[in-house]
Amino acid sequence: MPATVADLPPPRLPAVASSGAVPAVASSGAPAPHRTPIIRPETLHPALWFGHQLGRHADAALPSGFAALDAQLPGRGWPRRALTELLLPQPGVGEIRLLSASLVATQRAGRLVMLFDPPMALSAAALAQLGFDVEQLLVIHTRSRLIAGTDSLWALEQALKSGHVGAVLAWLPPRLRAERLRRLQLAAHAHDGPAFVLREMSAAQRPTAAPLRLALRASGADGLAVRVLKRRGPPLETPLQLALPPVLGETARQRASEGLAPADAAPRAPLPAATFVNLAP
Amino acid sequence: MLWIALHLPLLSLETFAATLVEPAPSEPEEGPPAASRALALADAHCIVSANSAARALGIKPGIKRATALALAPQLTLGQAAPARDAQALIAVAHAALAFTPHVVIEPPSAAQPGASPHTVLLEVQASLRYFGGLAALRRRLRAALAPLGHRLNMVSAATPLGAALLAREHRELDCVDLAATRRALSAMPVWLLGPGRAHWEALQGMGLRTLADLKTVPRDGLARRFGELVLSEFDRALGQRPDPREPLSLPPAFASRLELFARADTGAQLLHGAAVLLERLVAWLSAQHAFVRRFRLVMEHEKRSRRDAPGPSLTTLEIALAEPSRDSAHLLMLLRERLAPLQLPAPTLELALQADDIAKRAPPNAELFPTPASELEGLTRLIERLQARLGGAQVLRMAQVPEHRPELATAWREADAQMRPSRAGSAGAGFRAASPRDPDERRLSQPVRPVWLMQQPEPLTERAEGPLLDGQPLQFLSGPERIETGWWDAALVERDYYIAQQPGGALVWVYRARLPVAAQAPCWFLQGRFG
Repeated sequence: MPATVADLPPPRLPAVASSGAVPAVASSGAPAPHRTPIIRPETLHPALWFGHQLGRHADAALPSGFAALDAQLPGRGWPRRALTELLLPQPGVGEIRLLSASLVATQRAGRLVMLFDPPMALSAAALAQLGFDVEQLLVIHTRSRLIAGTDSLWALEQALKSGHVGAVLAWLPPRLRAERLRRLQLAAHAHDGPAFVLREMSAAQRPTAAPLRLALRASGADGLAVRVLKRRGPPLETPLQLALPPVLGETARQRASEGLAPADAAPRAPLPAATFVNLAP
Repeated sequence: MLWIALHLPLLSLETFAATLVEPAPSEPEEGPPAASRALALADAHCIVSANSAARALGIKPGIKRATALALAPQLTLGQAAPARDAQALIAVAHAALAFTPHVVIEPPSAAQPGASPHTVLLEVQASLRYFGGLAALRRRLRAALAPLGHRLNMVSAATPLGAALLAREHRELDCVDLAATRRALSAMPVWLLGPGRAHWEALQGMGLRTLADLKTVPRDGLARRFGELVLSEFDRALGQRPDPREPLSLPPAFASRLELFARADTGAQLLHGAAVLLERLVAWLSAQHAFVRRFRLVMEHEKRSRRDAPGPSLTTLEIALAEPSRDSAHLLMLLRERLAPLQLPAPTLELALQADDIAKRAPPNAELFPTPASELEGLTRLIERLQARLGGAQVLRMAQVPEHRPELATAWREADAQMRPSRAGSAGAGFRAASPRDPDERRLSQPVRPVWLMQQPEPLTERAEGPLLDGQPLQFLSGPERIETGWWDAALVERDYYIAQQPGGALVWVYRARLPVAAQAPCWFLQGRFG
């Protein structure tokens, strides 16, 4: 009879099977039972997946229009009933062109697209060129008037909770608290469609309640570098390079690619004291 | 003929409770909320009626006012107002009009012209088949009258006066035919008849306590001693004399007033009274199976000083609905959103609700699964709610204007809540044929425009090699596109537009202004970014 615990033989740890078989829990000294059949959790329920797999969604995802991006997104597209966070250094890196394919598809299906607090004035001609039905877009400004007892996210929350809106595109105020975003994410469960929230790049350091988070940066003319910061699945190391619907003609694009070389060869020093700090909210 | 009588035994107390102002939520708890407040109605110096909270404190009808205040110092005392009760009774009658066209408000007995019996009579023989029987009709009637918040005694009988008398004693009773009515009436006490109350002592002295007793004495003797009225009421109640009743006619426009018991200082305090008025509006609408398009809430304020303008000082709040509606919760929510930011010039004494713009339509279908029609309705309500809270000027739609100057090429107008999203394949409303993908071809048909435009073009610093944005030089990729237009109004522009690339790769739209030609004026501006 062993006198102390230390005299017991060490318990045999269950072997970690790489093929996904359920490991046999072995008591110390007893032989392992026969191996149970391989279980694939992704066949059991859409909310289950392994750590190395890309997650899926219970609803069909909305295709984004870019095959390289769809391959990296869980569910092969923009998620419905959840927030998608896009982080930009400044407005105007190509985010509208990135989202135009899915938003135009939503409009063609006869559902409403709402925009909340766009940071600058929109040009109806440009949106029509991208394929939008300009008369059917609804733009809500929640911050231009101070109303006692309201916060600027009330309107967004109401639109998400109503469940009748097709797609939502919202520019959130900077330095938003985490619980406000959590509340929006809970409200998005009732919203049958994509909900895009666009925030400043410095929000990347703080955690978010949104299940998908992308950082966008312009790379070359008519190109976009997308880094997937958070998704239901393994992290993506390299940024994706996407070709946006082009704005420049062929000659202009050639000029852009040529123009990079002389700039690299003789880099101009920036002017002293020329740091531009954007104080606009 | 089958008559249903609805008797409201606590009508005066209930209408008095409706005039109370809810305590403001920001104030500390100064007393119990209005629902469990002790209320009593006093007439001269005696208590006439008390609600359950007051009765629990020992206050009974008949005691003196001073005694009541000694027993319960926090008692709220009021006076019965016949005009106020009449308005509430009319609302009940309107709600009953949804079930039968023949609705009568029981007039006060000829012997006691002051005391209204607070009873509404409905003739429902013709409606029984449509509503599926008397029991189903009574259930639906109670459900329809529940929002008005009154306690009801509902009795059915073969004669109108008989039903009215029975309703004062019984909470629920069904007399299926005349014989049952007569049997039930035989047990009723004599003072229920108007003249019976006046001569109650004499009748009691003679030993005539119930209507059955009245039947046994000779009729001409009764008429000689107590007047014709006794006999006429007695006969009409038992169905021995015809009793034609004039049905109530529905007013063409709705107008109802409510005088508040205490002054209301904020918009939120008015909501309680406004909710009562909205229920009456919904009852009037359901009587004619219609929906309201716009209504007005008029608030009368107290005079601050003698120097104020003569006549009542009114504030009118007009609420127009995008979609005609009869839903009292939706109307109250719209009213609450509009009242919340309203600053009242003076405390409010009286509320009035007026509505005359109605639409008669079929009621909306209540379906289990969302359909395009219900989605449109839900969207309309959402937009109405956002417009009510944020203001109409914050919910906007765009339209393209044929104009070359980019800052004027987009027109913004307030969205109306009726959204009609065009479907693919409809008459080509907003979707053009997809622009040719090659931007060179596209530029020949329409010029390329950036999605984001600055509200005011931002001047750029200039150096010898060109303009700088954020301290970095720009690389010009495409251009120039010359826009010279606007000579007919003051905003003449002569600009050469270029698409330029920042070192980071983002594309911007800059222009060189050829006007004004002053040497020191900046001529490079940033107009937009390609998003």
